[in-house]
Amino acid sequence: MSATTLAPGTTNPTASRTSPYRLTFGHVLRSEWIKFRSLRSTWWTLGITVLVMVGFSLMFAAVVSSMESAGVSAEEAGMGAADGVGVMVVTVGYTFAQLAVAVLGALTVTGEYSTGMIRSTLSAVPRRLPALAAKMIVTGVVTAVSTVVAVGLSYLVTYPILSGKDMTVDFSSAEDQRALIGVVLYLTTVALFSVAVGVLLRSSAGAIFTLVAVFFVLSMVLSIVLGVTGAEWVQTLMNSLPASAGEQVVLGGGMSSPDAIGPWPGYAVLAAWTAALTVTAAVVLKRRDA
Amino acid sequence: MIEARGLTKRYGPKTAVDGISFTVRPGTVTGFLGPNGAGKSTTMRMIMGLDRPTAGTVTVNGRPYAQHRSPLTEVGALLDAKAVHTGRSAYNHLLAMAATHGIPTKRVDEVIDMTGLQSVAKKRVGGFSLGMGQRLGIASALLGDPKTLILDEPVNGLDPEGVLWVRNLARYLASEGRTVFLSSHLMSEVALTADHIIVIGKGRIIADAPVSDIVDGTRQRTVRVRTPHATQLAELLTGDGATVTSDEPSLLVVTGADAAGIGELAAAKGFVLHELTPVTSTLEDAYMALTADSVEYQTESAQNHVGHGAAGTSAGAQATSDSLEGAQR
Repeated sequence: MSATTLAPGTTNPTASRTSPYRLTFGHVLRSEWIKFRSLRSTWWTLGITVLVMVGFSLMFAAVVSSMESAGVSAEEAGMGAADGVGVMVVTVGYTFAQLAVAVLGALTVTGEYSTGMIRSTLSAVPRRLPALAAKMIVTGVVTAVSTVVAVGLSYLVTYPILSGKDMTVDFSSAEDQRALIGVVLYLTTVALFSVAVGVLLRSSAGAIFTLVAVFFVLSMVLSIVLGVTGAEWVQTLMNSLPASAGEQVVLGGGMSSPDAIGPWPGYAVLAAWTAALTVTAAVVLKRRDA
Repeated sequence: MIEARGLTKRYGPKTAVDGISFTVRPGTVTGFLGPNGAGKSTTMRMIMGLDRPTAGTVTVNGRPYAQHRSPLTEVGALLDAKAVHTGRSAYNHLLAMAATHGIPTKRVDEVIDMTGLQSVAKKRVGGFSLGMGQRLGIASALLGDPKTLILDEPVNGLDPEGVLWVRNLARYLASEGRTVFLSSHLMSEVALTADHIIVIGKGRIIADAPVSDIVDGTRQRTVRVRTPHATQLAELLTGDGATVTSDEPSLLVVTGADAAGIGELAAAKGFVLHELTPVTSTLEDAYMALTADSVEYQTESAQNHVGHGAAGTSAGAQATSDSLEGAQR
């Protein structure tokens, strides 16, 4: 019964013919984009990223504005030079947004391991590395675009609060330009770092725990230790860790201690960590049984 | 065409697949039969390049799977019904799989129709029953219109109509000249679907032959005889070359003689027969007979292990170990 209804439509007898379909990197990239956009968790984490960025900007703008009205200058409040306040307002949310971005990056891979999807992925792309590369490109591009959108929205919603006090972003300032480019680069690199961690750890819980520790807890604990002891080795350690070194590209001179690594060298440290983890992830993915 | 040569997979000290060689030919359905844990799934994962063989090689249509330019058109595989992200809809899963090879959306709709998933295609896979998951896995395997199909336990979780559908689909695909390799732990299922059977037990190939050969070669015909003259009759039959076993004093199970012969022999000697029943063993019995050795092998090796472990500790343990091994032989 079933045979007569299903068999005729099954396939044209093409078994002997050469198929027109080809596995190409462009196709894999498209596949990874379809996978990325067809999960709710993707949109949740992206939404949270933007919301956190904009929300913190608004909060920070309100605080700065009320202090200014009360006659406390930004400099006195320990926020660095007054001319950097505008850019700090629109980028400040990265501290929390990076957690959402890390979850997004990790889930791209660990979600496939926990559900078994990885076996479908690696069957379709048996050389494996194109799939990893495509995942990183999709995750990176989407994170970069989302960060640009979030920063843009932050600028727009805080403009009415800050414009009267002449504290908006100075697009002609090299420092402000660096911080704006820096926050996009930083969050994008964090996302790529997280994809690599996801490949290495395979478990969602393990990867997210590790990433929260690396990008949040560790830098917070170390800056407290540095504040209390002022020990040189703590600063040296912070200058070589992915989060506390990498975020200098956003913070710049303003809020950082004088011994902190410079913005671009700091970003280079994060980029080096990410590159090293990506290479390790690629080697492991290529060799490991799926 | 699938060709395995000396294919081996070890996980630590455990050997899951032990140097197997076999060929799966196009135009036929080849059943891959074995008890759970015999190495079927591991073998199939190695064919698909998901697990790396410890030794040996396996090729599909002439080359290792990963070296094909468009793998999904060479091989379609159902390895695990739940190799799908639970948060994605069936349609989007198939769309993403198809996209890797530039397979058009039209083909995605086609395989959805073919597998009867129309009503649930837009639903998230997390809520699927095992049977629907199985259908989605088969849809996935058919996407690339592949020359070779590998189906690991395809009828698991399917209702009777679904089982029949898989059976007919497998036969239809083979009739088109494709290679169809499907595994099962049920002899009856494989015997109904396959033309050729490869039996695996404890990671080794136990049999590799057409279905009819396997069934005839291992199917035993015995005759059950109930008689008050059991002892005398048994002596006579054994003298004629038959094998006789007995569980009860008046009951004989005879192998190597047919019912007519036994009846005539008994009549000639004037023995009274209370029962004379020819017994044909089922396919499952044949399968059990085939795999029984591999199960025995398992327990024996476990005992050996205990013996050798004790040997190293002391002279007393050595003696115990020797007697243990002696008792075994």
